[in-house]
Amino acid sequence: MGAHADRLDGGILLTAVRIPFTLALLLTVFAAFAPPSSAQDTPYFITYSHHLEEPGTLEIELSSNYATQHVGNDFIAPWIEFEYGAKGWWTTELYLDSQHTFNDGALFTGWRWENRFRPLMKDHWINPVLYVEYEDINGADKTMIEVVGFDGQADHAVRNFVVSREHKHEIETKLILSSDFKGFNISENFIAEKNLGHQPWEFGYAIAASRPLRLAATSSRCNFCRENFVAGVEMYGGLGTTDSATLSGTSHYIAPVLAWQMPSGITLRLSPGWGLTDTSHRFLLRWGLTYEFSGFGHKVRSWFR
Amino acid sequence: MRRLSFPLVLLTASAIFAAAGSAREKKSGDDRGVTSAIAQAPLATRDWQNPYEGQPDAIAAGKKLYLRHCAECHAKDARGRGRAANLRLPGVQNATPGELVWFLRNGNLWRGMPSWSGLPVERRWQIVTYLKSLRR
Repeated sequence: MGAHADRLDGGILLTAVRIPFTLALLLTVFAAFAPPSSAQDTPYFITYSHHLEEPGTLEIELSSNYATQHVGNDFIAPWIEFEYGAKGWWTTELYLDSQHTFNDGALFTGWRWENRFRPLMKDHWINPVLYVEYEDINGADKTMIEVVGFDGQADHAVRNFVVSREHKHEIETKLILSSDFKGFNISENFIAEKNLGHQPWEFGYAIAASRPLRLAATSSRCNFCRENFVAGVEMYGGLGTTDSATLSGTSHYIAPVLAWQMPSGITLRLSPGWGLTDTSHRFLLRWGLTYEFSGFGHKVRSWFR
Repeated sequence: MRRLSFPLVLLTASAIFAAAGSAREKKSGDDRGVTSAIAQAPLATRDWQNPYEGQPDAIAAGKKLYLRHCAECHAKDARGRGRAANLRLPGVQNATPGELVWFLRNGNLWRGMPSWSGLPVERRWQIVTYLKSLRR
């Protein structure tokens, strides 16, 4: 048992810590040579809006979730996203998850493949998006990209070598509703997740609002001007399961978010979050670094001509 | 490693599938597609007034936004590239500012033009102001 924990602490630490840092370095190098691009992304970490990736654009994002524990050890859970605009109405995304629990160990915790579809081709007051995701993760996953059912901080108190033995094959669906109004984006997500191993459906929600600090652009290129910052707040949590649809015993969080969209195409995001119930983590801190490779699809297509 | 390689294969396959699918699509490069898409704008949009019309600051801001969001597809000189329309052609330049700002909000998702409703309407007007300045 001790040897196993040591191995987690040592060898596999590479997966959770070194790889994200290496990729961050590569991202910075790519950013220096790639054409500048900046999309219209919302600053949220958990909530989705109806804005999909532009067709042919590949977005790479490194994010992390730090959380404090009442019982057990605090942890940091980095993940990498590869998001591609396959069509104007279809975005596909791959996640690679990892985590490092202090005084315990680090490991790769699995992958997710998500797809988002816009069924309506025009913009409306409320814009629906259908979301389907397949997850192949283990029980040690701590990215908390969604909170559903009775997810709570107690789930993250178990040591890695124990909980990592549990494999989860899950289907997650979301109904995303999103509106843009006078510079604000307001988004609501309704989540239903099913572990394919004979578990009940688990439900959750995420709601958010955000707005650029300045609506009109200035005429000159600038890094620190208000037009490049988007501020907002999101709230998310679990809603029980099909066996027990209730708020009692569920976790809920509120988290201000701030995004800095630099003209170079790099976006930095930061979000401190606070748990609202006894079952929630007391404090979360998320950060993200994003870079978009616009024209990626065009370059790949050119290989086939 | 096996757990890591499968998603990478999946990602590569998805990218190749999506890219190869797009490669089979017909190239247009002219303004037919954008003209018909703009023609779907409601009549009321023709009466929308551009709050920044002709303002030099708005043209400069619009150019900055254009280079940031649009130039990768439509080219820096707005003459189009591949399937992306030439924005200097009559189909675009004869449209009213209101029709263009409506089109930017809605896009033409089936033909690959994204919706830019995530940009505040003030910035969409600035982009339209810049596009209209190209007519001169």
